[in-house]
Amino acid sequence: MNVERRTVLKGLALSSLAGIAVTSSCLSMAGSVLGAQAQPVLPTLVLVNNEVAESVFLQGVNASPGGKQVKVQRTDLSLDFILGFEKRLRSGQPQRIIGLVDDASAALIVDLARSAGARVQWLGQHRATPHASQHRLLSAEAASGCAPQLGLSLNACGSGFSLTEQRMHSLQAPLQASATARNRDSSDQWAATLGYTLAALGTTSDRQAPLIARRPVPLTGNFVSFSIEA
Amino acid sequence: MTEQNNKTLLPRGVDSANFEQAIAKFRKLLGDDNVLVKDDQLIPYAKIMMAVDNAEHTPSAAVTATTVEQVQGVVKICNEHKIPVWTISTGRNFGYGSAAPGQRGQIILDLKKMNKILHVDPELCTALVEPGVTYQQLYDYIQEHNLPLMLSFSAPSAIAGPLGNTMDRGVGYTPYGEHFLMQCGMEVVLANGDVYRTGMGGVKGDNAWQVFKWGYGPTLDGMFTQANYGICTKMGFWLMPKPPVFKPFEIKFENESDIAEIVEFIRPLRIAQVIPNSVVIAGVLWEASTCNTRRSDYTSEPGATPDAILKQIQKDKNLGAWNVYAALYGTKEQVDVNWNIVTGALKQLGKGRIVTQEEAGDTQPFKYRAQLMSGVPNLQEFGLYNWRGGGGSMWFAPVSQARGSECDKQQALAKKTLNKHGLDYVGEFIVGWRDMHHVIDVLYDRTNPEETQRANACFAELLDVFEKEGYAVYRVNTAFQERVAQSYGPVKRKLEHAIKRALDPNNILAPGKSGIDLANSF
Repeated sequence: MNVERRTVLKGLALSSLAGIAVTSSCLSMAGSVLGAQAQPVLPTLVLVNNEVAESVFLQGVNASPGGKQVKVQRTDLSLDFILGFEKRLRSGQPQRIIGLVDDASAALIVDLARSAGARVQWLGQHRATPHASQHRLLSAEAASGCAPQLGLSLNACGSGFSLTEQRMHSLQAPLQASATARNRDSSDQWAATLGYTLAALGTTSDRQAPLIARRPVPLTGNFVSFSIEA
Repeated sequence: MTEQNNKTLLPRGVDSANFEQAIAKFRKLLGDDNVLVKDDQLIPYAKIMMAVDNAEHTPSAAVTATTVEQVQGVVKICNEHKIPVWTISTGRNFGYGSAAPGQRGQIILDLKKMNKILHVDPELCTALVEPGVTYQQLYDYIQEHNLPLMLSFSAPSAIAGPLGNTMDRGVGYTPYGEHFLMQCGMEVVLANGDVYRTGMGGVKGDNAWQVFKWGYGPTLDGMFTQANYGICTKMGFWLMPKPPVFKPFEIKFENESDIAEIVEFIRPLRIAQVIPNSVVIAGVLWEASTCNTRRSDYTSEPGATPDAILKQIQKDKNLGAWNVYAALYGTKEQVDVNWNIVTGALKQLGKGRIVTQEEAGDTQPFKYRAQLMSGVPNLQEFGLYNWRGGGGSMWFAPVSQARGSECDKQQALAKKTLNKHGLDYVGEFIVGWRDMHHVIDVLYDRTNPEETQRANACFAELLDVFEKEGYAVYRVNTAFQERVAQSYGPVKRKLEHAIKRALDPNNILAPGKSGIDLANSF
């Protein structure tokens, strides 16, 4: 089934009003497709910076269909990393690159993707505190449904968040959703759910993003997420 | 107003039928793979760092050309259908607008695939390159061919390119740091499709295009920089011979109030070419950011970072409040003589702690600064974007005389204005021969709408308060081009628009660039 943007939004509002008690992340919409249509599974590289590598983001990635086969690489600002990444983008091998990194690394990664002629389905800026997270997303048709799904899931888990999604070339007003925190243990959930959402983009999703137990040091600060197809 | 129908974002003043016809012609000319209209192809062009909505800088399409003839073809189609086209070379103008078009709906002409190094002459020390050539590519070429040459580039060195940086009048950190000064010969596709070569480039059989700038009659190279009168498809420039000895050094100064004395100390050494390179005087937060320091390491309080924390960072990271980076170049004898002059002048000044390369070792930020001053690419300065985080960055770059009193005044004015808006002064001065480029990175969090609005208001106020004191910026991001053009007065603008009308009557080349747009009333 296709995820209807407005339907999901409506659902989100209703869920919020109803104050649903949550026992799972609710990301599973059996048989649903995250993204406009199911795509063949491509070899996937996950880029993370040092902070993210220690976070639950990768748990979310691993829980996705095909999540066990991904390759994970840490980013930095060295020329070695950048030149290696550029070489990979230009290798001619079809591949997906998803990630959650710091702003400096993201500025480089996204621009190298542009110059290599890669497609970017999702570009997100995120800010997380121990109490809430903010998500500012720019997405393509290929990622339709992912942002509402992220919001729906965070809401279901009781995470405090605000989310804005702008769609390239869309006449619709940007999607805006927010909820106050109802579950103090869910401060890290955004990273796991985001990891799951990005990894599952373009696949038939019948699993769930893992519910994350409260961690002593949640992932906080500013980050950028992306989904790139080369 | 940007046109928009139910399906497609359209350029200003262009209807759907004309746009579709133009796209079809682009496909025929360039091939399907070089005409990008899908949203996931255009998102990477839409990543902006300015404090405005992405939508204001969203392209309707992007096309890539590989030859001058194709560029001429693109211009022809744009004229036929009145399509405004925003040209980029490598598109790495971070802080000044990145790869996004100046106005919503403009199509992008991306010249990244025109990336041939056409010629490097190791004896005359010249180069001729296409728009997509990066500094890293040129550096690799010089290394592979073991040429005794040195590059000068801006801080995003590896991934930026000499043609684009020079066309935007960017600066570097070597003795050849004023890049437009070192440019020699341009090839430009005009709006009517003619291919114009500046300097000696029009002379049949000439081989002096890259060695003699002026040619005969009016010299027009400068007219094409920071402008929308043509599309530069080749550029020549001079390379510095690699010196036998390179001696970088840093001088750390303890107090923010030292800036006036630092400038008075540096200026005579710079004008006399004792110190020949574009010296940098970097503030503490610029330095801290480039050695992996984040604001969140010290505080989670909103607003400007208190001075007490700045002092703590200075202490923790072994930085100065101001950090001067310079280098000496030449034979051992030349460097020894100049070193004695520099250290003697510093002794007379009576303050400042000098650090040599031997003392600094591989520590940052010294290492990357030394690399920039010796033409070795690196990306260390991207650390600036992690200081506050959130992806917002707008470079505010006023110029001034190289006088201590001027720099003192500018720094105080900038810091006061930024702090008033809850933002930090993250700045450096780059010392030209007689001028100062005061570069301030207005960093803010784009995930926070309120902070984004504040950053926009702050940038506007910086322009206003500096203008009242007789200052203006030499370069600005695309969201503020029109505003900055106003600072330079109506006569200049009338002339610029008269030239635009003569050269590009259909207003197809980057309307709005530097405030030049025939939709204006000039």
